[in-house]
Amino acid sequence: MVEVENLNKIYTVGSKQEKVLDGITFHIQKGELVLLRGVSGSGKTTLLSILAGMEKPSSGKVLIDSEPISKLPDIHLSHFRAKKIGMVFQHFNLIENLTLLDNVLVPLVANRVGLKEAKEMALAALKNARIEHKKDAYPNRLSGGEKQRGAIARAIVAKPSLLLCDEPTANLDSKNSQSFIEQLMQMHKEGQTIVVATHDPIFETLECEHRIIDIKNGKIV
Amino acid sequence: MLNNSFFYLFTLSLFKNAKRYISITLLSTVVIFLLSSVLYISGSIKYSLQKQLNLEPDFIVQKRVGTRLVPLDDAIADKIVDIYGISEVTKRVYGSYFFDKEHSAQIVGIDLLDEQASKAFQNILRKEEIKSFLSSESMIVGEGVFNYLKSHFYPKAYNFFTPGGKLKKVKIFKVLDSKSALFSANLIIMPQDLAKEIVGLKENQVTDIALNVPNVDEQSNIRSKLESLFFSARVYSKKQMQEAYENLYNYKGGLFLVLYLVVIATLALILYLRYTLANSLEKKEVAIFRALGWSIKDVITLKSLESISIVAFSFLLGTLLGYIYVFMLGSPLLKNIFLGRAYEASITLIPHIDWLTLTTIFILYATTFLSAVLIPVWRVAVTEPKEALG
Repeated sequence: MVEVENLNKIYTVGSKQEKVLDGITFHIQKGELVLLRGVSGSGKTTLLSILAGMEKPSSGKVLIDSEPISKLPDIHLSHFRAKKIGMVFQHFNLIENLTLLDNVLVPLVANRVGLKEAKEMALAALKNARIEHKKDAYPNRLSGGEKQRGAIARAIVAKPSLLLCDEPTANLDSKNSQSFIEQLMQMHKEGQTIVVATHDPIFETLECEHRIIDIKNGKIV
Repeated sequence: MLNNSFFYLFTLSLFKNAKRYISITLLSTVVIFLLSSVLYISGSIKYSLQKQLNLEPDFIVQKRVGTRLVPLDDAIADKIVDIYGISEVTKRVYGSYFFDKEHSAQIVGIDLLDEQASKAFQNILRKEEIKSFLSSESMIVGEGVFNYLKSHFYPKAYNFFTPGGKLKKVKIFKVLDSKSALFSANLIIMPQDLAKEIVGLKENQVTDIALNVPNVDEQSNIRSKLESLFFSARVYSKKQMQEAYENLYNYKGGLFLVLYLVVIATLALILYLRYTLANSLEKKEVAIFRALGWSIKDVITLKSLESISIVAFSFLLGTLLGYIYVFMLGSPLLKNIFLGRAYEASITLIPHIDWLTLTTIFILYATTFLSAVLIPVWRVAVTEPKEALG
């Protein structure tokens, strides 16, 4: 499902170069739940962004469903992202002047889904994320936990092969964090491949089969 | 990409962002309104001038002594008639009469026995009125002159001072229609003999001689013949007259065009700055779209449609308001800049739209607007989504 081989990422700031990912190699099977664990600045968010096709690696190979995403031109990479990747951002990144339902529609527009079908799919995703009752609310009227559930609905609406979550509990209280974990386990149970980048100890109590990849200074330890 | 869900999101985005766009739309509408008003006025004046010029003779022969024009002997008209290729030779009498320092009128003497003049006069006087007009010492005045005489002297007659220092009382027979006020506001039409007396011409003198040359190819040849007809002859063509008028109104229209370009450039700068502002809502929105799988083309299409909608709406609204202001409300204030206001006359502008200029203005405006919006959007769209999200 996911093959990462000798992945490197170097940022250049002025004349200074900083290596944030250093020779990362790992494989993820379909239906697996993987936790990328590490402290802030360890490189896990960068790794997640590269897996999402939102950033290009400096070198190395990334294959998702046998597709070499680091080599795809923008137009194909965008379509790939729309079809195969679902992303839950740390700060939710909901569009402020669209209702929750319309926010969930956005990835479906990129997938060229017709309006009627798109609305049905968006409602189903909101129901699945247990936030259907807030479908007409704007993000500024939602609590952190509700925004998170809206972001999950948007991430899963196009039925992606890979769900990526970047520090999903960083902006949630313990009750909402627990609720998110329950939801995560439910999606894993349904066969969804999930990668979560986190340094929240709450994930240590995860009561389902999962794998942990520890990252430190851009390397797998 | 352009399926119904895309259009749904586009209309949603347009209306949800209405608050954000309202200031830009209003500003654009005002700019377009002002510019289109200027265009309508100058276009209408040019159109009316062209219509008027079409009635003018092909050539006018005058006499110049030194640097000034002097009356010429009407016997020259007989010599002109003999030139092969010339038709409709008319002896004309006119001159400026000053009521005071600021107010003057153009006196035109009409020879109603002359076929050409009589034909032109048919629109002004009915047949049964001609006799009465000729039998009394009367004049037909433009609306501006009438309003001035009414408020400063008498509404029924005026006592002209002749060059000999005598007073000549002339009755007001009729006031010209306000539809022709653009050209006739300061006009006084009277029988030619009466006009000669007031402007100070002898019986055998005229101000100039007008003539037509039906064969356009012969015009330069005939012009040479006319110039060699007598010493110090000055031949003035219809084309020269047209150029003189156009230069006058193009100059005023040009000033407004420069002003428009300055305003458009300022608007573009405001838009550019707005869309390039760090962490602006637009920037974040574009980055989210990209992160969720929208291609650069998809984002540009959405933002182009939004911008085109604003451009089209403000352009249509601006041009419509301009039309109402100029042709329905009579363009108060702005008209005086073009026409001056020596006389109070209700000058009616004939509705006429110069589509080519209007299209040019639209293209200029749309290109500037779209560039100012789409360049910053494109710059965010081509940035890697992670970097753009910040």
